[in-house]
Amino acid sequence: MSETGVIHDIGYQRYEGPRLGRGAAVLALYVHGLRASFGFGRSAKAKIFPWMVAGIMLLVAVILAAVRSQTGQTIFTYVQFDDQMAWLIIFFVAILGPELMSRDIGSNTLPLYFSRPLRAADYVAAKFAAMVTAVWLLLGVPQLIMFLGAAFTTDDGAKGVWNEFLDLAPGWGYSLLWALLFSSIGLLVASLTGKRAFAAGGIVAIFLLTTPIVVVLSVLPSSAANHMAGLASPMSLIAGVGQWLSNEPESMSGLDLGRFGPIYGIEAVCLIAACLLLLLARYRKVAAL
Amino acid sequence: MSTVALITARGLFGRRRALILLPLPLLLIGLAAICRAYDLPGDQWGEAVIVGLGFAVVLPVVSLIVGTGVLGSEVDDGTLVHILTKPLPRRDIILAKYAVAAGASAVTSAVPLFVAGVLADSAKFGAALAVAAVVGAFAYSALFVLLSLVTRRPVLLGLVYILVWEGLLGRFLSGTRVLSIEQYVITIANKINPSTILDSEVGLGTAVIMSAVFVVGCTLAAINRLGSFSLAGETS
Repeated sequence: MSETGVIHDIGYQRYEGPRLGRGAAVLALYVHGLRASFGFGRSAKAKIFPWMVAGIMLLVAVILAAVRSQTGQTIFTYVQFDDQMAWLIIFFVAILGPELMSRDIGSNTLPLYFSRPLRAADYVAAKFAAMVTAVWLLLGVPQLIMFLGAAFTTDDGAKGVWNEFLDLAPGWGYSLLWALLFSSIGLLVASLTGKRAFAAGGIVAIFLLTTPIVVVLSVLPSSAANHMAGLASPMSLIAGVGQWLSNEPESMSGLDLGRFGPIYGIEAVCLIAACLLLLLARYRKVAAL
Repeated sequence: MSTVALITARGLFGRRRALILLPLPLLLIGLAAICRAYDLPGDQWGEAVIVGLGFAVVLPVVSLIVGTGVLGSEVDDGTLVHILTKPLPRRDIILAKYAVAAGASAVTSAVPLFVAGVLADSAKFGAALAVAAVVGAFAYSALFVLLSLVTRRPVLLGLVYILVWEGLLGRFLSGTRVLSIEQYVITIANKINPSTILDSEVGLGTAVIMSAVFVVGCTLAAINRLGSFSLAGETS
């Protein structure tokens, strides 16, 4: 009756079904992270903050679409919409980062995760993917509403809809850039502490305190410093990348890139990569710092 | 009462956590020093550094972290019970913790603002900024101590106040400025030493009276709230 390797067979039934491997664990963590981002599967209290932000964004998008269909004038383009909503995105990241990262540290669930066939890289990848998706949805869905509003009131038939879509696609790409950069920074800050309160405060502080540096650099008496001023803050960095990629010399953000456009692109990529590498390094050890 | 204050101060500064209070003031002083080193006129960078960073970020964020930390961290890990079961009036507990929070935030934000003010204009301007920052620290701390008793997520609610109410709505809707501590602080500093760097939107009377209302009202509400405080465990 008793097999080799079993010290006591106390008669429990064995599990003989299929064993899902790493892939399923990552997928489960991703889906759980995405649901937790918007408070699904949680109490009503957990839904207040994410849905407050999402509600404001959707409301603004509906107003913009309505104004455009009634009066025909465009207040914000798809790209400008992201720039104008920057403060709300910061707040959303400050909600999500601690929710996804600090919660696991604070409630000591990390040792449980890592006792599965899940590696540190899988954990980081699943959380990052969940947060990028959530932030992108926060921006992309209002942009879709603006698109629908414009598409249904166009005068040129299918051609007008297609032209509008060509405006929307870069807007979605721009939203993805926001999501990638803000998620990587937010997750890195949140992974350093198990207290959600401190993580949220830290994320907001990081994003807000970099803005005045941009202003200071842009008044310094050096044209190189002025052109590269936007590099100092994530918000102006993204605006700079968008400006460089769309080849617009000037935009509403008031940045003057000069010939330093490629540097903005390089820094954005390096910043995202550096944050993810630091996250991986941080999860080589489970304990809170 | 002094023991409660001592424990609170030790909980605040005794851990490595206190180090996150350092970079914000240092950045403020550093930026002001860089601008000064390049001999830029104060009104070119003063608004971004002093108002944009000092009054809009350093003062509220430091007050938020400290103000929600003095009570909130004890509520979170349950050690508040040990203080509540001592034969102390709840009023004394709140007052001691509030004094520590307001004092710590006032020092952390007033000193760098004083230095930045000296570098931007004159010692008198620096003193005006420091006085205003102390008033602001007391008003913000009272609000955030109350928030940490009213809700389980005081930091997020405090961030809503700082980011959405003062930051976003304060820029577009002038009516919300009457209930914005940031505007009181700017007004008080501007009245003590008028300067082109500061742009006050509310009257001095409103600013002083409303600051006092925030301090007294929030402290009384917090005392009242702690009087019937229950430590029911809930996780959300």
